[in-house]
Amino acid sequence: MQYEILAQPAASVAQLTLGAGESVTCEVGAMISMTTGLKVETTSRSRGGKGGLLKGLKRMFSGESFFLNHFTSDAADQKVIIGSSQLGDIVHHELTGGTLIVQGGSWLASSSDIEIDTTWQGLGKAFFSGEGGFWVKCTGTGDLFLNSFGAIYEVDVADTYTVDTGHIVAFDETLKFKIGKSNKSLVGSFLGGEGLVCKFEGQGKLYCQSHNPPSFGHLLGPMLYPR
Amino acid sequence: MTTQLTFDITQNPDFSLLTVQLEQGEKIFAEPAAMASMDSTIKLKAGFKGGLKKAIGRKLGGESMIVNTFTAESGPGEVTFAPGPMGDMLHYHLTGQNLYLQRGAFVAHGDGVEISGKWEGAKGFLSGEGLVLLKASGTGDVFFNSYGAILEVDVNDDYIVDTGYVVAFEDTLQYKVTVLPGLSRGGKLKSFFFGGEGLVCEFKGQGKVWVQTRCVYPFLSWVYPFRPTKSND
Repeated sequence: MQYEILAQPAASVAQLTLGAGESVTCEVGAMISMTTGLKVETTSRSRGGKGGLLKGLKRMFSGESFFLNHFTSDAADQKVIIGSSQLGDIVHHELTGGTLIVQGGSWLASSSDIEIDTTWQGLGKAFFSGEGGFWVKCTGTGDLFLNSFGAIYEVDVADTYTVDTGHIVAFDETLKFKIGKSNKSLVGSFLGGEGLVCKFEGQGKLYCQSHNPPSFGHLLGPMLYPR
Repeated sequence: MTTQLTFDITQNPDFSLLTVQLEQGEKIFAEPAAMASMDSTIKLKAGFKGGLKKAIGRKLGGESMIVNTFTAESGPGEVTFAPGPMGDMLHYHLTGQNLYLQRGAFVAHGDGVEISGKWEGAKGFLSGEGLVLLKASGTGDVFFNSYGAILEVDVNDDYIVDTGYVVAFEDTLQYKVTVLPGLSRGGKLKSFFFGGEGLVCEFKGQGKVWVQTRCVYPFLSWVYPFRPTKSND
């Protein structure tokens, strides 16, 4: 699969070029346009995988859709343009046998060889992270496309690193994380507006987004008519 | 008489701004509220350009019936235009052919161009974008915009675009509203109901189609849960 990321950074899309027989799994609704040599299959499981129903349900909890769209090319040089609904960037991550944990909603597409599952990050973590209990777990070898709200920046964590919970896009499974206070005292944490933060430990890659979707939502919400 | 306008589009694709340099006597026509700033040599006149029929066509095509005319009356001058949504803006030069524009995509045009509505009937209804497309015809410059960035695609034979993402296309292309090609007949239906793509436009022929990279409706549905709830008293 070849790819090109266009119109960065605020309205980014990824243009994927598939050879004959190649296929890619995309978030539902991500397709903007495509050539006609691609066929679409909508399922609740990874392509050719098992356990569709349960995985689909788990995925719903992670903030993604129950269903997945698989685009398969039956000719050479077929193109599909995919994008997210939010204003923001797209990043490509190459998985080489490892696992990347993606925040629910940030997973856009991946090679069909990559296993997509949801992972439970623990009740306490889920409750305080504001991101829901499930994250999308991508394992295997191939290409992975993530989208963000705002710009994406990469951090190579070598020891420890702290991120506000709403700003995490994805991280290597080699990183351990726990929810902590941003300040020594709980009151101070909340007064500082940072609330709870994720503290990462270990060695690995971390993708962060410049903007926090719930913050923007809570800014707009009160200015709108009640529903 | 048609002349090519001297213009520049800057800050694209996110905050596109169109700057036009008018010579004395030159005109540009724009949708209401698109003008951002202008020299004092330029006079603005609002009116139902092209008569009532064209004005109604524009209205049905998601635009205003009114078109503002900017004329460099007392000397050359500069006028800038910015459309309502954040996003991209493009220029197209018409030489007798037609350009079809999605609802609301029109920003401005030069002398020699007419904007009218084109009845699309059931096809327009199915595409979810309204019954009427905008048609730009004549000889001259036309400017169009969208929310998000705009990508240009050269269509050879055929190409599929999600109905909500079409900005404009050349009249050498035919289109029909359909569902995504599935692996099987049953699979096609499943994709239609659960695949989130709904209906798509399938273009056939040779020509250009312009595709927007973001759509405003998904953003609105995202904001919806953040709205306050009405109290029941």
